[in-house]
Amino acid sequence: MAKQDPKGTALSDIAVELSAVSKTFHQRQRNEQLSGILRNLLRPEFKSIPALSGLSLAINRGEILAYAGANGAGKSTTVKLCCGMLAPDSGEVRVLGMNPLSDRLKCVSRIGVVFGQRTELWFDHPVSASFEWKRVVWDIPDDSYRVALKRMKDLLGLDEFFNTQARELSLGQRMRADLGLALVHDPEMLFLDEPTLGLDVLARRSILGFLKELNRTRGVTIIVTSHQTADLEELAGRIVLIHKGKLAFDGSFDALRKTCGDTRRLILEADAVTAPDMSAMGARLVSTEGRHHEYLFDASRNTIAEILSEAARQCAILDVETHRTDIDDVVADIYETWQRGQHPTGE
Amino acid sequence: MAVKAGYGLLRRIARLLALYARMDLLLLTRDPLMTAGWAITDLVINLASVSGLLLLAQRFAGIGTWSRPSFVFMLGYASLVEGLVATLFGYNVSHISRRIGRGQLDHSLLQPQPLWIVLLTEGFSPAFGAPALLPGTLLLIWGWRMLPQAPWAAFRSMGHGCGALAWSGLFVLDMASSVVVVMAFQYGWGSLAFWSPRASEELNTSTHDLLSTLKSFPLNAMSPILRFGLLSIIPAGFVGWAPVAGLLQIGHIWFLITPAAALISAAAAAIVFKAGLKHYGKTGSQRYSAFGHRS
Repeated sequence: MAKQDPKGTALSDIAVELSAVSKTFHQRQRNEQLSGILRNLLRPEFKSIPALSGLSLAINRGEILAYAGANGAGKSTTVKLCCGMLAPDSGEVRVLGMNPLSDRLKCVSRIGVVFGQRTELWFDHPVSASFEWKRVVWDIPDDSYRVALKRMKDLLGLDEFFNTQARELSLGQRMRADLGLALVHDPEMLFLDEPTLGLDVLARRSILGFLKELNRTRGVTIIVTSHQTADLEELAGRIVLIHKGKLAFDGSFDALRKTCGDTRRLILEADAVTAPDMSAMGARLVSTEGRHHEYLFDASRNTIAEILSEAARQCAILDVETHRTDIDDVVADIYETWQRGQHPTGE
Repeated sequence: MAVKAGYGLLRRIARLLALYARMDLLLLTRDPLMTAGWAITDLVINLASVSGLLLLAQRFAGIGTWSRPSFVFMLGYASLVEGLVATLFGYNVSHISRRIGRGQLDHSLLQPQPLWIVLLTEGFSPAFGAPALLPGTLLLIWGWRMLPQAPWAAFRSMGHGCGALAWSGLFVLDMASSVVVVMAFQYGWGSLAFWSPRASEELNTSTHDLLSTLKSFPLNAMSPILRFGLLSIIPAGFVGWAPVAGLLQIGHIWFLITPAAALISAAAAAIVFKAGLKHYGKTGSQRYSAFGHRS
């Protein structure tokens, strides 16, 4: 895992380190009544919204980290803190060994940032002009720029719209151009905030494929936030879930599934229209359609072999399909649990 | 070492200015019809902003202690200052409250350049700004030609050549100082958008219009209180009246008053802007307008 730092400034294997970082925003509270308006003028009332509460987290170099949480959990705040756009109330943020605020210029020259809802492209100019702008402002040497630009054009297929005005691009094209622009200075880290927002299936697949390739071939550390948990699973090996600004889960997607029980879906094609009763094995019948019977079961309590042998005892099995639970459903269950004030991991 | 660093900094700024000049030209020339429309509109707006007082000066052969030529010269000077601000600090750099209020300052903070260099260079728009420079230049030349004696007459004791050179230097210094005063006024008030982004987003439109309207008035005839106000809280007097009175030696105006005002107002604006930036670091922006962050 240990890599030599190309710029020779930070020799740590940790790309991003957040130590007990807290950030609270203050929302003005008011009501619609006249007395409330007057009171608000004289003595304004504020509600504290903790975006991050003592969050500690370390991300290794070369890693792809999925950073997820419900709306308002603190995902974008974390990205902004790491890019030097916000200052923490307390705690310390280190990116590539640097403080993003006091070392802002050095830091931003070594990272790339893409916000799905914002574009870094110059709206009224062709895409090519934004790349030329980036070359000059980031002071990218001509040779490196030519190589990087060719790589971005090849991987992201930028040629087809390179001379088109940014405002005329489709959302998918815009995201590809934004990604290319964020990477043309060869950054060591990439922050992606909702990069697949609003994209169709093809555009999503293209972006995810590109990111995986980038991480595999260039070793770029990627931190990606998204509400599309399936996209995150396709991309990252590790997922961090935050809830109310606190670390709620940090581990693999498999481990995340197991926090809600390792629920699987089993579809049996039997020779009988009557579904085998496997409730004793913990398999719950969900639906029956002709000879196809669908069950849900917890794989951590009963193995699939045990369930199938029980089914085979009751009827002849013609075909079997098993699916892991959709990760979006797992995460939705977790969010629901949080809303009820419980913690799925029992903390 | 310091000389080398200074040279490197100037080179970097020159490279960025050249880049933004190219991009400005690219934008202007994307559609010939739009180019023509823009140039004509800008010319008309700039002429309209000085035409009322120009007609008054023509009718009454001057205003107060200002003769017609000196008044036309002042109108040209003030108009040129406004044109320079539009040319050097376009794309909402002079209207900084819009960038702050729309949450677009984040784009500047993501660039590996000090913020002051970003703001100094990103608004450079010689192509779009050229029409704004034209009315001022024409009025200035017209006023100059009508002056009964060379404007550096007061500097004759230095010898004709040296006097002209010293006056030219002072003219350039005053012009730059007036631009600084305008920008300091814009940034001083525009920084309020750090604290109230929504309410103050368009604040710089009002401050700009205020200076634009008041810049053409000679302040001699005004009461001392009003004159003080127009040289401090709303420094419109430094956009035309004070520097030109100093340059043409009308009344008893200290000829370095505009550079001094530029220093003071720039320092005050820097303090307010830095305080705002610090607040921005704490709160960030809860708003974002996604229709192109440089428009």
